[in-house]
Amino acid sequence: MSKPIIVCSDLSFVYKDSKKPALKNVSFTISEGEFVGIIGPTGAGKSTLCWAINGVVPQIMQGKLKGSVEVKGKPSNKTPVDEISQIIGIVQQDAEAQLLMTDIEKEIVFPLENLSLPREEIHRRLEYVINLVNLDEERYRHPFYLSGGQKQRVAVAAALAMEPEVLILDEATSELDPVGAEEIHELAGRLKKEGKTVIMVEHNIDELAKHADRIIVMNQGEILRDGDAHEILTDVNFLQSLGIYPPQVTQTAFHLREAGWQFERLPLNLVEATQSISALRKSQ
Amino acid sequence: MSEAIIKVENLCFQYPGRSVNALQDVHLEIAEGEFVALIGQNGSGKTTLIKHFNGLLKPSKGKVFVKGKDTTSLRTAELARSIGYVFQNPDHQIFAETVRDEIAFGPKNLGFSEERINSEIERVLKEMDLDVDLDEMPFQLSRGQRQRLAVASVLAMEPSILIIDEPTTGQDWKESILLMNLVQNLNDKGHTCIVTTHNMNLVSLFASRVIVMKSGNVFLDGATQDVFRREEELLTAGIKAPDVYLLARTLIPQVQLGKPLTPQGLAELLNTQSNLG
Repeated sequence: MSKPIIVCSDLSFVYKDSKKPALKNVSFTISEGEFVGIIGPTGAGKSTLCWAINGVVPQIMQGKLKGSVEVKGKPSNKTPVDEISQIIGIVQQDAEAQLLMTDIEKEIVFPLENLSLPREEIHRRLEYVINLVNLDEERYRHPFYLSGGQKQRVAVAAALAMEPEVLILDEATSELDPVGAEEIHELAGRLKKEGKTVIMVEHNIDELAKHADRIIVMNQGEILRDGDAHEILTDVNFLQSLGIYPPQVTQTAFHLREAGWQFERLPLNLVEATQSISALRKSQ
Repeated sequence: MSEAIIKVENLCFQYPGRSVNALQDVHLEIAEGEFVALIGQNGSGKTTLIKHFNGLLKPSKGKVFVKGKDTTSLRTAELARSIGYVFQNPDHQIFAETVRDEIAFGPKNLGFSEERINSEIERVLKEMDLDVDLDEMPFQLSRGQRQRLAVASVLAMEPSILIIDEPTTGQDWKESILLMNLVQNLNDKGHTCIVTTHNMNLVSLFASRVIVMKSGNVFLDGATQDVFRREEELLTAGIKAPDVYLLARTLIPQVQLGKPLTPQGLAELLNTQSNLG
């Protein structure tokens, strides 16, 4: 088992001026290199949890916090947010709001200059991330002229240029067209292969199912389930009870099983579904 | 087929100061009572096209007719009687201090009598399944309720055409479905509904016709199940067909689809086939 990188212990949080807790007794450990999907209805506390990990809750968004979050052993509520941001990168829904420079290269370089890194180091990181997100040819374009998917990839590149060990994508694909969303998920999958820890808050279960190893299901500030992605994302009844739309291929197999088809386990993605359904058709 | 309620002929539009046309030679007819999904990449021209329907933009070239009338001859306020537009973010639309004032604003501007306005308020709250106090502040409502209030205020003007811009923004699947079910009820009562969205699962569940925009043009236009079977072309427009269509393509490529495909529908098709075999 690899080393724990985020340890959340009995965490509860109530926003200032609110009575209802946004998080209730949340505990989990995320280890280096894991790809964790966080799902749940609106108001489940998913974004609050992300902010508690990078210290924005309670340092900037204030309230009453109990329990603790430790990022590489540092308490996130007491460690300066800019120090945590070198370990944890976060990309949110509205990338456009995050972009402020006049071309992509500047967008990526600006925060690095603020860290007073040597020029060669800045150059090395720029070339690495711009190629990673496939925007080499667009580097001098104004973010305004980019597609939604490209803008979101710029935001990911800028976050990665800080060389965080953990990347959090908080509904980073929700305003993208399907191909743009797929691009971000593929990129996240590539980062996992490179050993990064990835945490993805996502409504698009079909895409999430492709790369996540582990799923945390939240509802009303609590963790309902935490476990193997395949097991949780194929639990059609459970997901539907929370108003979550399970992967379409899983649902198809679920209905076939009700009609008597005997699946060893329900498929989670297109490849698995094609194989298992074809095999059952032949054997009939 | 009933008469076209929206007709677009040769429409070109160029934003001031830009060299490329945002819309290029668009031809389109939408019949009364249709449920249409308008999809395409960010920047493909969906919003520009919709703004021609409600008269916020006027053609650089070509014509747009709403209920047979050329939109250049109509004021935006007149068009508002026929076309209701629901913003992507309800908070961009909601402005009044109370639920009552929010709903009454449109009908008041259209000169409805007070009696009629009161009955409209009652009607639209019921249609949108909103059980709220009329004196309540809109911003104290939940996000889902605010979205439904935004639709209710548009409905109070009794528009025959409803345009919903991205019903999924800021909502989860369950809330999106709730809203779309209410839109479906309106469509059943004869309202023409046009929805723009990036969520193809939602399109597949509700729309009977899909129009795909690409680079300012209508790229594909047809019955939902036919459009979603053209996976390769869709990809070039930034659209991925829902996974059930991709699964159907491999497993039952020869089957004709009479309606949009759902997981349950695909399971039934596979099951019938294997029983026959």
